[in-house]
Amino acid sequence: MKPIAIVGLDCRFPGAPDPGAYWDLLTRSADGVRQVPELRWRASDFYDRAGGEGRSNTTQGGFIDDVDAFDNEFFTVSPREAAALDPQQRLLLQTSWRALEDAGISPKQLAGSNTGVFVGIMGNEWAQVHMTDYPNVTAQVGSGNGYCMTANRVSYHLDLKGPSLAVDTACSSSLVAVHLACNALLAEECDYALAGGVNVAVTPGLSIFYTQAGLSAPDGRCKPFSADADGIGRAEGVGVVVLRRLEDAIADGQQVYAVIRGSAVNQDGRSNGITAPNRWSQQEVLAAAYRRAGVEPAEVSFMEAHGTGTALGDMIEVKALGHLHAGRTGQPLAIGSVKGNLGHAEGAAGIAGLIKVALSLHHRVVPASRFAAKENPKLQLARNGLRLLKAPLRLPAGATVAGLSSFGMGGTNVHTVLESAPGSGARTAAGRGRGAAHGGGVFTLTAPSPEALRRNLLAQAGALPRGRGPAAGLCRASNQVKTGHRYRFALPARDVRELEEGLRSAVADGELLAGLAEEPVARPRIAFLFTGQGAQFEGMTAGLYRDWPLYRRFLDEADEALAPHLGESIRDLVLGGDPRIHRTAFAQPALFAVGYAQARALDVLGVRPDVLLGHSVGEFAAAVVAGVLSLADAARLITARGALMQELPAGGGMLSARATPQELAELLAAEPLVGVAALNGPRATVLSGDLAALGRIADTLAGRGTAVRRLQVSHAFHSPLMAPMLDRFAEVARQAATGRAGVPLLSTVTGGEPATLDADYWVRHVSAPVRFAEAAERLIASGPTHLVEIGPRPVLTSLVRRLRPPAGVRSVHLTPTEESGGPELDAAVAELFRGGVDPVWEALYEGREPAPQRLSPYAFSTAHRYWSRNPVAAPGQAAPARPAVSAVAAAATADPAPAPEGSARVVDIDRSAKTPDALAHAVLGAVAGVGGYPPEEISVRSRLYQDLGFDSVMVMELKSRIEAQLPAVGELSVQELLPRLSTVGELVGHLRELAGGACGPAAVAEEQRRMTSA
Amino acid sequence: MASTEAYLTGVGTFLPGPPVDNATLAKMLGVSEEWIEVFIGTRTRHFARDVGTGEIQWSLADLCAQAAEQALADAGVDRSEIEFIVMGTATPDTLMPATVNHVADQLGLNHLPTYQLQSGCAGAVQALDLGRTLVLAGRHRTGLVIGGDVSSKHLDPSLDFSGKAPSELVNFVLFGDGAGAAVISAEPAGRRLALVRVLNQLTGLGREPGQVIEWFGMADRDSDRQALVEDYKAIEEGVPVMAVEILWELLGDLGWSAEDLDFLLPPQLSGRMTAKITAQLDVPGAEEISCVAETGNNGNALPFLQLERLAERIEPGQRALAVAVESSKWIKAGFAVEAF
Repeated sequence: MKPIAIVGLDCRFPGAPDPGAYWDLLTRSADGVRQVPELRWRASDFYDRAGGEGRSNTTQGGFIDDVDAFDNEFFTVSPREAAALDPQQRLLLQTSWRALEDAGISPKQLAGSNTGVFVGIMGNEWAQVHMTDYPNVTAQVGSGNGYCMTANRVSYHLDLKGPSLAVDTACSSSLVAVHLACNALLAEECDYALAGGVNVAVTPGLSIFYTQAGLSAPDGRCKPFSADADGIGRAEGVGVVVLRRLEDAIADGQQVYAVIRGSAVNQDGRSNGITAPNRWSQQEVLAAAYRRAGVEPAEVSFMEAHGTGTALGDMIEVKALGHLHAGRTGQPLAIGSVKGNLGHAEGAAGIAGLIKVALSLHHRVVPASRFAAKENPKLQLARNGLRLLKAPLRLPAGATVAGLSSFGMGGTNVHTVLESAPGSGARTAAGRGRGAAHGGGVFTLTAPSPEALRRNLLAQAGALPRGRGPAAGLCRASNQVKTGHRYRFALPARDVRELEEGLRSAVADGELLAGLAEEPVARPRIAFLFTGQGAQFEGMTAGLYRDWPLYRRFLDEADEALAPHLGESIRDLVLGGDPRIHRTAFAQPALFAVGYAQARALDVLGVRPDVLLGHSVGEFAAAVVAGVLSLADAARLITARGALMQELPAGGGMLSARATPQELAELLAAEPLVGVAALNGPRATVLSGDLAALGRIADTLAGRGTAVRRLQVSHAFHSPLMAPMLDRFAEVARQAATGRAGVPLLSTVTGGEPATLDADYWVRHVSAPVRFAEAAERLIASGPTHLVEIGPRPVLTSLVRRLRPPAGVRSVHLTPTEESGGPELDAAVAELFRGGVDPVWEALYEGREPAPQRLSPYAFSTAHRYWSRNPVAAPGQAAPARPAVSAVAAAATADPAPAPEGSARVVDIDRSAKTPDALAHAVLGAVAGVGGYPPEEISVRSRLYQDLGFDSVMVMELKSRIEAQLPAVGELSVQELLPRLSTVGELVGHLRELAGGACGPAAVAEEQRRMTSA
Repeated sequence: MASTEAYLTGVGTFLPGPPVDNATLAKMLGVSEEWIEVFIGTRTRHFARDVGTGEIQWSLADLCAQAAEQALADAGVDRSEIEFIVMGTATPDTLMPATVNHVADQLGLNHLPTYQLQSGCAGAVQALDLGRTLVLAGRHRTGLVIGGDVSSKHLDPSLDFSGKAPSELVNFVLFGDGAGAAVISAEPAGRRLALVRVLNQLTGLGREPGQVIEWFGMADRDSDRQALVEDYKAIEEGVPVMAVEILWELLGDLGWSAEDLDFLLPPQLSGRMTAKITAQLDVPGAEEISCVAETGNNGNALPFLQLERLAERIEPGQRALAVAVESSKWIKAGFAVEAF
């Protein structure tokens, strides 16, 4: 068969809350088994050393921690529904999400895809407890139980539309699920598949069964192939792998843990009893899997055996293996079983083995098998071509083949053949690319709440690789995976250590975090402001040119367009630090080139303007971005403009005065060689013209106590002294094509949007005053969220701020300082991301060669816990006095990231809205009651579907509750109600209308305003 | 199966932070920039600490792991193919664990033999010798050889330098920090450099050390002994003589003549000393490959920095010979490389 790649995985097993801990447990040969936790059942009530009727011979087992914790808010599941949900479904949801993230996928990106979900499961104990509690069988209990719903629930919450099925073949369930998933991928029923298994022990039923059947180990531990083997110990677990066709994974450059080369399933048929293992069927399923994978038995280096540690089971498994391996040449087959560490995880046993084998092939070492030191001599392993993994086996370089068996109690056997991931092909390409100029990036993370943000930032900080490697790969992964939630965090980082320190500081310091995270309320609206003459300096943007290939490309492009007119390379002049940059003939084309290149590079980065403004010379690059001028035309115009101005006689200058044009009018009337050059603000006027005349004006103004400043310019721009060049410039301007702006362009000639930018316009542009203040006022009025200044250094954004500080508007500049390079570019992109821009990240990382890396997956909240309201009791004994935890037992202290003081700035969710009257109070109460939320968590801003997880069943219940509590509104129509359910506030407004308290939709807004400001 | 040849399939280096020039050091130490240029001849160096504050920016393990990553990428070798690590250093982060093990940790390597050789200027060559031996013995196919030093551990910027003798000041301007690494393999791949010979020989019987680095524990932590002592006079006399002997011993072993050499990698003490030694080695037909004037004397990193420069220039069929002298207890070291 065609190979299938394991591209992502996640799991929780006894003593191992995540895959990293699982691998650690395996490599330490550690024990995950312990006393049955009180939460499940009181072990002593069911214990009998002799294993008498209705009793278990052990109090031990492999149990996972925090089995009752569920981040229902993340999945928008109401507390009431969460409490009814089989914990196996809850665990699968969280594990599936994390496995997808581990595969380098943002789970939300798979929504609507044909991704399949295949879940192995054999325990249904939650349903046994709750579906027999007849008076309490609610709608939620019904849909939350029955393992029929497990795979479907994952498909539902992740919106996955491929095959979705639960598989029960007893202990082989989860490996059979993997087999089916592979087949579905090969048949192209789906392009991604989530496959896994889950097992949670809610009752001691199976422990009693194992004891009664003589299969239960008194110490609760499986001891595979050991002389001490004396039966099974039960274990819990959940594991999910993300599968793809290998060719697709390679084509996408996805990281691969291991490859599934072939698998086979068969049945014992009518064997020695339905629960007895069958040697002939086992060897047949092995042979079939080898055939399908196209491998010879001798090629298999190691085997994760079923290895339950029962005398009979071990013997039959060894004989079946021996049938295929006894005659092999070379090293004997190394065998072991994870059951020695965990116990038998039943429905999750196969996936525990699969993840162990995948991690072994990934890390290239097979952990020792626990209890292997005291090998069972009766098994005669050596004669069967086998050896027990008594010590870790380091795998040699090159391809390694491994096998994995899982056998079901009822006789359904499955065997899988895996191989190490193909490594050698992908790695040579990047080999020679040493010393990227800038190895940093922007680490981004989104979260549904401020608490989740802090928790996940902390989780990331704790899981970063050691050392001080480049951060680009990790940042790139974060951009790809950690997307789609409301709160957007972005941190530029140069290397891994800086990243870790940055993440930790952000978590510890609320003020800092508030500056690094935002919750954008609307789509960002971006203004590009192009800087004019005066901003140029020697070597401007050299750092950006060095660190960003994209900027390089466009500056080179502008250079090529300008060169025929200039007769030399403006790029070399700019980057070489040539002082001629200050001469008008070079300053103008140089600023144009920088502006053009920055704007075009931003465009490729996905940062596109909604409105444009160019200060004087800056308007040429703006006109190219607006689509009015072609690059070639603009290059010709700007070069001619600069050259013609340069040719004008010296003797002109410019003077900035803190005065209004009206205050200066009288002085100007007396000086015909001076005019107003720029109106940068109400009291920021620039005069331009003859130097002697300017001197007289300056003296007069100084005498009046008005602040004046002479500008360092070679000529009197935008003044009557420009007149001699106008005709010649007009000739050039007439050659340029004209057009209308494709993006609104606010002109500093007209102060608004000009009808057309033709030759006359560009001629007028030379001597007309720069009406910046007016254009900027219009720009602010258009409601931008971000002012992106384009140019070598920031000038205009501070002018705008002095004009009228726009509240909440962010200023962004690619090169805020003269030395700016990659890190400042990253800081600018981070700012834009926080504000809601989704950059085309590839464009940022061009030239940095970010190595593919995995990030720690989403850290779910453990604050909310839900467990059975029906404690399991032994016959004849009262249920232990334990409070039913049916709703929310929120333990804020359990959250690893307690909210620091002063974090309210990012929090900004108003949960404190007071309920001003009985009606609103009743509605809030009804909403809380239907969802099982504590009333204080509901506010008028709460969104019923997105925040509170309402569904049609809950809406019906809400309707009845409201009708009962608010007779004044009368009988409600569902049809009318449905469109008014976006927020609780809207519902309140609607009901108020019905109750006759107000009329018209304005009342709704009024209601929201009144309640939030209360 | 034993291989008859060991190959350097990839080389990588790492230098921390921006280069620190003589003007910066001159200002800090209160000496003239000219003095450094004329008497030392080293123009820039890199430090793992902030020169101003003394704050540690990079550990030796950090530097070595970075260099090793570069070498792996350069060789196009997956880390899973690495079967051993040999590292040479005179300035480990801690005495225990040996820094090589922290490097392995950063590289994600486990279940493999690691060796750390405690040595100065000859350490990298000793590491190459051991790496080559492991490959030739057929015990392993591919391994990492690493050398690095953080000399700035001995430079305390808070000291008052005004009264210091030139022999004390010299340490500050001579040394630098850095690391280098090479992938050594039985496979003739990657950079296609055959490591055809390595010389590693103690010759200091009965001879006073030319260089001593002390270490202090709880019992003698307040000792007023100087941590780093160098007998510059002995070094200046002894090293050129030994260098010439190393050159001829290696040539003799290989049956090569001096005319066969296309490249010469001389000992990297300082810009000035290296120029002097190179003149005495007198192989005018071979192109000199040196780095110390730009990198400072960063001990065990030096041969790798030279190898990296060599790898960019050497053509198939060309030969190169490297000479290193450790003046602590007078160790002769050197190696020969042939491109194919």
